[in-house]
Amino acid sequence: MAVKDFLSDHEYDGIREYDNPTPGWWHAIFIATIAFSFFYFVYWELNPRASTPQSRWAAAQTAEYKRIFSSVGDLQNDEATILKMMGNEQMLNVAQGFFQSTCINCHGKDGGGLNGVNLTDDNYKNVKKLDDIFNVITNGANAGAMPSWKNQFNQNERVILAAYVASLRGTKPAAPKAAEGDPIPPWPKPAK
Amino acid sequence: MATGGSTASHSPHQESGPIERFVYDDAIVRKFIFASIIFGVVAFLVGVIAAVQLAIPPALASVKALSWLEFLTNTSFLNFGRIRPLHTNAAIFAFAGNALFAAIYYSTQRLCKTRMWSDKLSNLHFWGWQLIVVCAAVSLPLGITQGKEYAELEWPVDLMIAVVWVAFFGVNFFMTLATRRERHMYVALWFYIATIVTVAMLHVFNNLSLPLGLVEMFKTGRTPPLADWFKSWSVYSGVQDAFMQWWYGHNAVAFFLTTPFLGLMYYFLPKAAEKPVYSYRLSIIHFWSLVFIYIWAGPHHLHYTALPQWASTLGMLFSVMLWMPSWGGMINGLLTLRGAWNKVAADPILKFYVVGITFYGMSTFEGPMLSVKSVNSLSHYTDWTIAHVHAGALGWNGLLTFGMAYWLAPRLFQAQLWSKKLMAAHFWLATIGIAVYILGIYTGGITQGLMWRAFDETGRLQYPDFVETVMTLMPFYWLRVLAGLMYLVGGILCLLNLTMTWMARPAKYEETVHEAPALGAVFVDPPPQPSEITASTEWAKDVDKKYIKGWFHRVWERKPAKFTIWVLIAVASASLFEIVPTFLIKSNVPTIASVQPYTPLELAGRDIYISEGCYNCHSQMIRPIWAETRRYGEYSKPGEFVYDHPFQWGSRRIGPDLAREGGRQSHDWQVRHLENPRQLIGDSVMPAYPHLLKDTIDFETIQARVDAMAMLGVPYGDLVQKGKATEAAKAQAKELADALVTQKGYADMGDKKIIALVAYLQRLGTDISKPPPADATKPATASAEVIK
Repeated sequence: MAVKDFLSDHEYDGIREYDNPTPGWWHAIFIATIAFSFFYFVYWELNPRASTPQSRWAAAQTAEYKRIFSSVGDLQNDEATILKMMGNEQMLNVAQGFFQSTCINCHGKDGGGLNGVNLTDDNYKNVKKLDDIFNVITNGANAGAMPSWKNQFNQNERVILAAYVASLRGTKPAAPKAAEGDPIPPWPKPAK
Repeated sequence: MATGGSTASHSPHQESGPIERFVYDDAIVRKFIFASIIFGVVAFLVGVIAAVQLAIPPALASVKALSWLEFLTNTSFLNFGRIRPLHTNAAIFAFAGNALFAAIYYSTQRLCKTRMWSDKLSNLHFWGWQLIVVCAAVSLPLGITQGKEYAELEWPVDLMIAVVWVAFFGVNFFMTLATRRERHMYVALWFYIATIVTVAMLHVFNNLSLPLGLVEMFKTGRTPPLADWFKSWSVYSGVQDAFMQWWYGHNAVAFFLTTPFLGLMYYFLPKAAEKPVYSYRLSIIHFWSLVFIYIWAGPHHLHYTALPQWASTLGMLFSVMLWMPSWGGMINGLLTLRGAWNKVAADPILKFYVVGITFYGMSTFEGPMLSVKSVNSLSHYTDWTIAHVHAGALGWNGLLTFGMAYWLAPRLFQAQLWSKKLMAAHFWLATIGIAVYILGIYTGGITQGLMWRAFDETGRLQYPDFVETVMTLMPFYWLRVLAGLMYLVGGILCLLNLTMTWMARPAKYEETVHEAPALGAVFVDPPPQPSEITASTEWAKDVDKKYIKGWFHRVWERKPAKFTIWVLIAVASASLFEIVPTFLIKSNVPTIASVQPYTPLELAGRDIYISEGCYNCHSQMIRPIWAETRRYGEYSKPGEFVYDHPFQWGSRRIGPDLAREGGRQSHDWQVRHLENPRQLIGDSVMPAYPHLLKDTIDFETIQARVDAMAMLGVPYGDLVQKGKATEAAKAQAKELADALVTQKGYADMGDKKIIALVAYLQRLGTDISKPPPADATKPATASAEVIK
């Protein structure tokens, strides 16, 4: 440091104090942070056109739904649509994501069943035909043992989730739970 | 230079009193320093236990030889949710607290050339504080908690803290200032003043609460059982409670872990280095900017939450502006060592200071960075924050405390330090321990944040299974155990070194008698140096020489009362700027008609949730971020929390968010999962709560719980009529227990605590999708709330 230190006449219990000027870069950054803050506040809080986390979230939702569902449009909750989705690899993959984040705690990672039913065998408790899966997902079953998911997933999402669950039938889980309910006929063949 | 010049600058007119003789009280410092290091070792040990608890469950499942450690994951008073607050409270209030008291008692006497005003108050302070620490150590593992981070201690302990802090410590300190024999107050004392004033303010206003025992006695008309004397609820709810809590929480870091330690640095660093402090004017600027700016920054803990956005923005911006004021302290510390670096190389004490101050610089850069919203959207709820606080607590508070302890040991015990080698070993253990800790946990935290938000190309979450993200962290969690052990061993070495030095003390401590004149009544400040501004008005020149050049500050420095009032104005005005709008502007918390108060049973369940410390691992706040709503459901709205006394948003996701947990699982699943999570989720690191399936609900206290909420403004309608709430709770418990049986779950759970907790969990986040009640002025009845 080229500048000479100024030793003040302060002394406390033997501690002395220089009175060196504060570093220029310190002032510069301090002033810069204050200026940044001023402009940031004006832009984000006083500008009615600035986006908010909520508006950005809504935009992301729209974009994501478009990205995921633009190829299929609005889905009906009927057997034919579910059957069609069972042949749609992309939709099954998305639905598998839903399944992994919400269903595996009871039905197991591979659908083999934990305290929820085994989804891979031919026995079903509340399902007779494909769209019953959609109904169970939507309304729940068995006095709430199977919760209702209509508030968490929109119709499209529940339709492809039903397709994914249906597609688990006949797979071989690591530790299958004993069958519950009655055996039902196989799913119809997809219309080509 | 107004404040500079040479030592030969004209001397002020003053009248000195008679020469007086006095002896410093070092016995009190000896007590505080031992208490600090002993409790430090305890805090580190509890930290290591908590670290093991998070890392070990997968190992327990796969390694038979470890099965005897199972008790770490299923013992009510040892579970992570109770151990973690014990760790944080011990580290902050017992370790750092006793250290800052040691620093203040040692340096204040010397900087004021007087003994502490009252030995009696000094000792009341010491023993009172240790009693508080013991109360914390007993109550937290028992699940006695307010459920607010770093403010867990219940109201009787809070009262003790207020009395000890204000009536013993505060009075003693300010009376010592009043009876000082040094005209001006050194910068360390400014920081102590800010500490005492602000911590008192924060502590009182964040902890305002309504105790259950009092409600039972005076409102419900029932003799409260003992346990009910140790339960209270925050008078604030939801958004306001969150705001108050983080106003407190952040400023506890500021005024408990920063300002007193800066004061400590300003005294002990120049002492140890035998060098003058680098810059007096920098002290002034960074002190006032730090004190004024810090207090605004709390809302940065609540970015993207239901807190109004303007508050969150202020929190971010003041954090950014806080960067340089914080670095002012670092600069003054490190540049004081100019020309003394050869000493640093040879002296472990100075090494502790240098590394400690460097950690301060790193943490106070990282803090503003983490408070930038876009960074925070990644870091919030992850281990990144945990790494950040440990850089501060272990690096800054810890190393400064150890440096001070080693410097004080020979002076306090009047014997040579027992082992310099051990001190050097401690330095390296601590430094490497911190480095391993934060590098490991940074990596873990960032990994976690990135995994939570990752989508694959088809638009689905890449890691939808939460447990998968937990398992990825295991190597880092074990690294943390190792690092914690290193830091713990270092702490033990320090305790050993101090104890052995103490053993070598003389039979009777030599007490040096000091002499100094009393301060006379008359003091005329030296005139300000002339302004160097030439082409300007007299008024501008006057402002320049008196204010810009800092002359006025020198005058304040000899007026403790005035100085204290200005500190109070700085912290209180900044607080009010944020607090008043948060509480008064209705639009900040738009109400939602369908959001109704918890049923009496759910309320009881909520108190169990708080008592078990669930908030230590589970957040209840879904941010409006796509990855987050995809995983957890609709983002949380401010109006959903209006009946939450206290708020339970949490700050960590060691487990998944629970804001929309209601209805996601069956009752049966919830019960079995709480009984032992690994029955259902093999890799879960969550503790088991078998005791909740055995302990019975005290239905009789439920009436008082509802009465208390009603007193706090929750519209409970006719449920406050004698016995109605208890009746409703019993009815709902029966209904739920019956439903459990229908779901092929356990029988006879109707009077067990688990039922109340499950009732609460099943309610979480569900109101928003219900139709609003026909008569919105009436709360829904208990039975209507049971999830079908």
